[in-house]
Amino acid sequence: MKKFTKILAVVILLVIVLSQGCAKKSDSDTNQVKWTIGMSQCNLGEPWRVQMNADIKNAANEYEDIKVVFKDAQNDTLKQRSQMEEFISAGVDLIIISPKEAVPLTPVVAQAYQKGIPIIVLDRRVLGDKYTCFIGADNKKIGKATGKWIVEQLGGKGKIVELKGLMTSTPGQDRHSGFREGIKGSGIEIIFEADMKWLEPNARKEMESALARFETIDMVYAHNDPGAHGAYLAALAAGREKDIKFVGIDALPQEGQAYVAQGILAASFEYPTGGKEAIETALEILSGQNVEKEITLDSRCFTK
Amino acid sequence: MSRISKSFGPVEVLADVNLDLYPGEVHILAGENGAGKSTLMKILGGVHTDYSGKIKIEGKETDFKSVQDATEAGVSIIHQELSLIGSLNVAENIFLGKEKSSYQWLDKSHMVEYSKGILKNFGLDIDPKRAVDEFPIGIQQMIEIAKALAFNAKIIVMDEPTSALTEPEVKKLFKIIDQLKEQGCSIVYITHKMEEIYSIADRITVLRDGEYIGTETAGNLPCEKLIQWMVGRELSQQFPRHTPHIGNVRLQANNIFVPAASTNPAPRVGNVSFSVKAGEILSIAGLQGSGNSELLNGIFGTYGKDTKGSVEIDGEKYKIDSPSKSIQRGLALLTNDRKSNGLVMDLSIIKNSTLACLPCYSRCFWLRPADERKAAKETTESLKLKAESLNQEVDSLSGGNQQKVVMAKWMQTNPKVLLLDEPTRGVDIGAKHEIYELMNQWTKDGIAIVLITSEMPELLAMSDRIMVMHRGKVTAQFSREEATQEKVLSAALGKRKPA
Amino acid sequence: MTSPTIRALGALIIVFVIGLIFNADGAFLKWGTHRDMLRAVSVYGLLACGMTLVIITGGIDLSVGSILGISAVSFSLFCIHFSWPFYIAIIACLLIGLACGAASGLIISRFNIQPFIATLAMMVFARGLAKWMSGGQKISTAVQQADGTYKYVPVPDVFNFINSKILWNNISVVTIIFLICLLVSAVLLIKLRPGRYIYAIGGNEEAARLSGVPVNAVKILTYAMSGLFCAVAGICQASQELQGDPEAGFTYELSAIAMVVIGGTSLRGGRGGIWLTLLGVLTIGYLEKILSINAVGEDKRLMLTGAIIVAAVLLQKTKK
Repeated sequence: MKKFTKILAVVILLVIVLSQGCAKKSDSDTNQVKWTIGMSQCNLGEPWRVQMNADIKNAANEYEDIKVVFKDAQNDTLKQRSQMEEFISAGVDLIIISPKEAVPLTPVVAQAYQKGIPIIVLDRRVLGDKYTCFIGADNKKIGKATGKWIVEQLGGKGKIVELKGLMTSTPGQDRHSGFREGIKGSGIEIIFEADMKWLEPNARKEMESALARFETIDMVYAHNDPGAHGAYLAALAAGREKDIKFVGIDALPQEGQAYVAQGILAASFEYPTGGKEAIETALEILSGQNVEKEITLDSRCFTK
Repeated sequence: MSRISKSFGPVEVLADVNLDLYPGEVHILAGENGAGKSTLMKILGGVHTDYSGKIKIEGKETDFKSVQDATEAGVSIIHQELSLIGSLNVAENIFLGKEKSSYQWLDKSHMVEYSKGILKNFGLDIDPKRAVDEFPIGIQQMIEIAKALAFNAKIIVMDEPTSALTEPEVKKLFKIIDQLKEQGCSIVYITHKMEEIYSIADRITVLRDGEYIGTETAGNLPCEKLIQWMVGRELSQQFPRHTPHIGNVRLQANNIFVPAASTNPAPRVGNVSFSVKAGEILSIAGLQGSGNSELLNGIFGTYGKDTKGSVEIDGEKYKIDSPSKSIQRGLALLTNDRKSNGLVMDLSIIKNSTLACLPCYSRCFWLRPADERKAAKETTESLKLKAESLNQEVDSLSGGNQQKVVMAKWMQTNPKVLLLDEPTRGVDIGAKHEIYELMNQWTKDGIAIVLITSEMPELLAMSDRIMVMHRGKVTAQFSREEATQEKVLSAALGKRKPA
Repeated sequence: MTSPTIRALGALIIVFVIGLIFNADGAFLKWGTHRDMLRAVSVYGLLACGMTLVIITGGIDLSVGSILGISAVSFSLFCIHFSWPFYIAIIACLLIGLACGAASGLIISRFNIQPFIATLAMMVFARGLAKWMSGGQKISTAVQQADGTYKYVPVPDVFNFINSKILWNNISVVTIIFLICLLVSAVLLIKLRPGRYIYAIGGNEEAARLSGVPVNAVKILTYAMSGLFCAVAGICQASQELQGDPEAGFTYELSAIAMVVIGGTSLRGGRGGIWLTLLGVLTIGYLEKILSINAVGEDKRLMLTGAIIVAAVLLQKTKK
């Protein structure tokens, strides 16, 4: 008897969970929807990607005749592939995809393209050219711009701490190499660098070590805003926040931009999500216009 | 083996011990717990390689560097603690370390066949492909014996091989020992059971406190002299039982039903009722699978609410619930396997002895170690427990002393009814005697005792009444005067006592 | 003849000496470095307190990182967005942690599910709960208004207090909090009855049960205490980051377990203690700090940490 009730409880729980998941899908709209756009996001676990989806949603809400269906692959490549296949068999009018990895997802993107479904690749690339359009920012460019900005700010000379993002990831590598290119030839000296893996607590720990070792630090360049914020807090705790300037990348409205507005960061370089541009480009494609194959997003520099 | 000595750190456990074995003899190695018997055998078996003295096998001087060496030389040891691996099956256990394989590929079918044959020799008709821990402990002990004898050993050491066996199984073992004698094997047999010693011994060697006392043929070493050698003092009466004044009924168990376990479809205890009076010792006799142990456990609440029936203590009826509720009611259960569920080996003597009534020493949750120590000291002294320090871990104590710690734990709960399941298992003769005296004292204090023991002399001597069980049901009841070995055994085998 | 304490101390001393040798231009010799190391390790140490209790009972708690996350998000929500008074926010967070821990304990004791599985499920569930509560974003002083713009509220005082240093800037408040919780755990394990029961259950659960020990109740208490300490850790984490990150505490459980094990508490249960865990916490804390001030590259860091963990555990092996 006991075993039976346990199994029954599990079954009931499963039914409840599944019905919730299904209920979301049957979000039927009554107005005439001309275009259905499928958005395949690789990982909604990252706040930046939450922002990307939010940007897409906000942009799409301006237009009554498009409807966007969002799917989250929860950072699983195979899941993203099967979600793409679902979009293809559902016959959506256009697909926007931010793929987790290039190699495993290139075939399914090509499949959609060859079936005649226009496909916009957003932020991360796939291989080859079987897609309609790629929209993304260039981390190398951003890193270089940051480097150049720092050189300018410090008058060509200074002691810098570089707090790096996960160096096994392309954004980390690009923001690092771009930065080095940007400061080439100047008197900027990198006295301490560490891999903080995009995480704020790690950045704080590394900055504490840097503060313990070096009397003078002019500026801290962190590959993302949370890292810059963590470094700031370390300096604040040591009473040296007024002597050091902090620069980060991403510039999400509630994060990087907020930090700049509050005077915590000297600058934050935007790593645009491209959500708005994706919808605008999508509309152009759907209304029959030709679009560029490569659209590189501009990055604004937010300062106070 | 000549002039063997060994020390563990500063403690000398063996000093100049000699032992010689002839082919075809059964040589009893006797001594109290802590005398050094197991250590001596471990040296012979290659477990301890750090010792002084000489070992000669068939005239050749040998020095075993490992258990493998000893096994290859023909020495096989059946340990007191089972060395089987429960999760592996019987065949895998028998062949452990000697797996038959060609180029590392296991020859499973051959191993299973061979195992089946070996087990059949012991009268065990079991499937070697089943996991060892599916079998009850008596069968496991037989498997352990089969394992040790499976590969043509010439010197066989048996360390308390019958502690978990029933009478018929013991008889089977002795038959096998006879066979081995005829084949010319030498057998070293360690036991605490007197009747076993005299039924199979050719010669007897006695150790006491690590020292060699002497060797004699069994004929020239009568029981009292043997005990004197072992203990160093005269033990006049082996079983001192004085029946005190018997009072009112303290425990009344009605219609106790313990449902079936997973391995056997029949219920373990079916509708058993009995009562015990103050000052009385009621023994519940039975062979393997009789359900006597399950009966006591069921009453105590080990199986929780699965046990049906009612229990009355001093007239107050209550429903069986859990061990903690039973303890509150005045029941205490000393289990038959202290290592697995009687003691917490990592904890000290004091901490083990206060475990069942810790609230007494911790008002508002705050422990009072001074009070605990005092109580432990009193209790262990009254139990004559010898230990270096009360703070030492119970793991380091001898079997008899470990059992005394368990008793100390229950004594502190001031029980009204004491359930004792094999209280003298793995306990040396001196300590056994002390435990019998304790049982006398307890009954004098008015406690009602329910006793389970598989040693017939103990059963007959210590019981005021005997209730015999077979396959979960009561087959007979005897008073002290009318009980005999034969009557009890036949009732245990299933023959009902005529009304 | 070495006791577990001496062995753990030995490991710590070795790491300390390594720090003195590789002192990164004298950085290791400054008090500030040590104070910062203590600050950074305090959050992990809090998790390790609860983990010690759980491991001594013979169990494990994989959900510590996730409960930290929920607590960080809750604390930020309550203080920054809802503007609750700090003591109510703290109590509410502690209750949430207690509830999560008690739920794990209940599943483990009543329904007889293995601790690994039960706390793994709680780890996943709690992480999801944290993300749901926070809407997937960090809860910070930038509060989103109805019209989409952001209003910046000042950082609550309690955050600043917990994030600060006292005693003439010599010790962080979070370190004090960690030491207080360490003391509470020590009192529980050594002086109180449930502590004795924890050791008994870990040493031999069946023997304890048959001796009348209330096994289920003690287990629930143990996991609830773990949840409580995780909640404290979450409050400290949020205060130090000035925000509530739903991802906070991700993979922290591994560090907590490593600290307990290196300290010398056996994963089998029944043995060990809180002061051993403190030594383990300091050993790992110093190890990370030494690698950090010497700017050791990430790859070498991982290899060295792994090697030293193995070495420290080998040092622990008793000859029984």
